[in-house]
Amino acid sequence: MPWKLLWKNLVGRPVRSALTVLSIAVALALLCILDATARGFTAAVDLAAQNRLVVMSQVSLFVDLPLSYEPKIAQVDGVQRVLKFQWFGGFYRDRSGFFAQFGIDADRFEAVYPELGMVDGAFADFARERGACVIGKGLAQQHGWKVGDTVPLISSVFPRGQSGVDPWTFTVRAIYEAKRKNFDEQTMFFHFDYLREALEQGAAQGPPGVGTYTVQLKDGARAEPVMAAIDALFEHGPQRVRTTTEAEFNRQFMSMMGNIPLLLRSIGGAVLFAIFFAVLNTMLMAGRERTRDLGIMKALGFGNGQLGLLLVAEALALVLCGSGLGALLALALGSVMAPFVSAFAPGFAVDAAVLGQGLGLTCVLGLVSGAAPALRAIRLVPVNALREDA
Amino acid sequence: MPVAITLRSVTKTYHRGGEELRVLDDLDLDMAGGTFYALMGPSGSGKTTLLNLVGGLDHADAGVVQVGDTNLADLSGGELAKWRAANCGFVFQGLNLLPVLSARDNVELPLLLAPLSRSQRRAQAQRVLELVGLGDRLHHKPRELSGGQEQRVAIARAIATDPQVLLADEPTGDLDRATADSVLLLLQRLNRELHKTILMVTHDPQAASYADQVIHLDKGKLGRIEDNRAARS
Ligand SMILES: Nc1ncnc2c1ncn2[C@@H]1O[C@H](COP(=O)(O)OP(=O)(O)OP(=O)(O)O)[C@@H](O)[C@H]1O
Ligand SMILES: [Mg+2]
Repeated sequence: MPWKLLWKNLVGRPVRSALTVLSIAVALALLCILDATARGFTAAVDLAAQNRLVVMSQVSLFVDLPLSYEPKIAQVDGVQRVLKFQWFGGFYRDRSGFFAQFGIDADRFEAVYPELGMVDGAFADFARERGACVIGKGLAQQHGWKVGDTVPLISSVFPRGQSGVDPWTFTVRAIYEAKRKNFDEQTMFFHFDYLREALEQGAAQGPPGVGTYTVQLKDGARAEPVMAAIDALFEHGPQRVRTTTEAEFNRQFMSMMGNIPLLLRSIGGAVLFAIFFAVLNTMLMAGRERTRDLGIMKALGFGNGQLGLLLVAEALALVLCGSGLGALLALALGSVMAPFVSAFAPGFAVDAAVLGQGLGLTCVLGLVSGAAPALRAIRLVPVNALREDA
Repeated sequence: MPVAITLRSVTKTYHRGGEELRVLDDLDLDMAGGTFYALMGPSGSGKTTLLNLVGGLDHADAGVVQVGDTNLADLSGGELAKWRAANCGFVFQGLNLLPVLSARDNVELPLLLAPLSRSQRRAQAQRVLELVGLGDRLHHKPRELSGGQEQRVAIARAIATDPQVLLADEPTGDLDRATADSVLLLLQRLNRELHKTILMVTHDPQAASYADQVIHLDKGKLGRIEDNRAARS
């Protein structure tokens, strides 16, 4: 095989080859980042715990459930633990300093969410202290918060004081890291009882119930009968509930933001087409320019298979160079972007799966775009090619 | 073994826009092995077409084209390609060389189809380039060569696999007198020393004078055949 010819053809047009390689590289990097973000979103669904259910109002996620439900749910067969979850809706300094905060049961939280590991401070210190909180590693980095710091928050759901804008204060006692990608590292958890006391004492106003209950199943318990039993429990009110698996809950929660993974993947698909046309254009131009060369080679006795392979290999060589460069670019971009992107797509990572898929797709496109001029070369009649003016 | 070429009732017709163009019309031609032929005729008389049929680049519509022991009509497309690689050297009308490859790489191209090692290919390419007097131009690209040098590289490529038949389509068309003469002397040497059967198309009577015989073609019909050897002696 005249592999040398392949190489000479590529370096014979250095600018065009380089531009094609660069466009593939940029496009692949973009494709990988988009895919990693989409995967980051769906990780919460894909990696959701199998042994957790979420109980919410049948009306909407924004309608609270009475506190009296908790002991009743705990009685259901197959339920290990019930955990209160209340959305706090606070912001730090101003509205742009927004992040998620939840009031939870500090005595049970760690047992229900074993995937959270403390990297600084201790969960026990948090559990012991009413006004304490646990924050995610990403959040801590973003605001420079350390264990022992006090975080003042103003809540629109739970206005405090005469003016309603007195800040709530929480003391950081532990910083968590998500050991699985289903959980983000941008959330604050505090004692639900801290909130409840303030409401009961009149220091703050706001709804008295909880947004959702998280149910941890007993080992070996099946989700369906437990979900049905809980739903049946409150069928006649006062608040009907809907119990779902955590995966389903996460899916619904994300679909409230619109189908972002689909959007990202659509953009990725468009990018993929851009790569395809870049390589196709280069290869068709190359094939056309070399009509006479191909005619000469055919006349000399080179077979259709050899010439076709040569053109496909040339396209593949361009794509592989571009993809290699693009993969490096994606890794670099990924590590720069990770802290920001993982705030909303906790599973974001430019990993082997993302790179592998990107490289696989671009290679397929390389093959297809090499096939176009290869087919043309195969159909080429040497006598006609040689009659064309060089 | 010098290879003879025989054409029997060969017809080639092209169709263009409903019009039928009979380029070769019931042509009979016998060419002896080891002889240097010049093919002359006005533009459009079918010279390149005839060369293409003899070289197995195109099929006749009717008749027999026999080169040595092979009736070319018996070969499939793939077999024909292999046959060409082994039996025919071509110098095409117009540009012959791949512009991105050096002189030596161009000559090596047909050798890639032969069962040779890389070093054998290199040695053979170098040998034939020396034979055509270009041993010092191995690494020149076509655009770094003169027209005459380019044609000589093309001839070197045509003889690299040591085929018995050499088909050259106006190899001296764009060359000045002196350069043309050196190329023609080279072809004459290949015929006399290596006994190649050569069929060379030319418009130039002086170029044709290097050949043993001159075949005249007009409107697809065979004209007179001159024998230069008889004239010379
Ligand atoms: N693919 C084709 N389709 C239609 N007509 C063709 C085709 N190839 C050649 N012809 C016609 O066949 C005739 C003979 O062509 P050919 O190339 O053999 O001429 P030639 O004798 O080599 O001429 P020249 O001296 O100009 O090279 C010409 O009239 C040409 O237009
Ligand atoms: Mg011609």
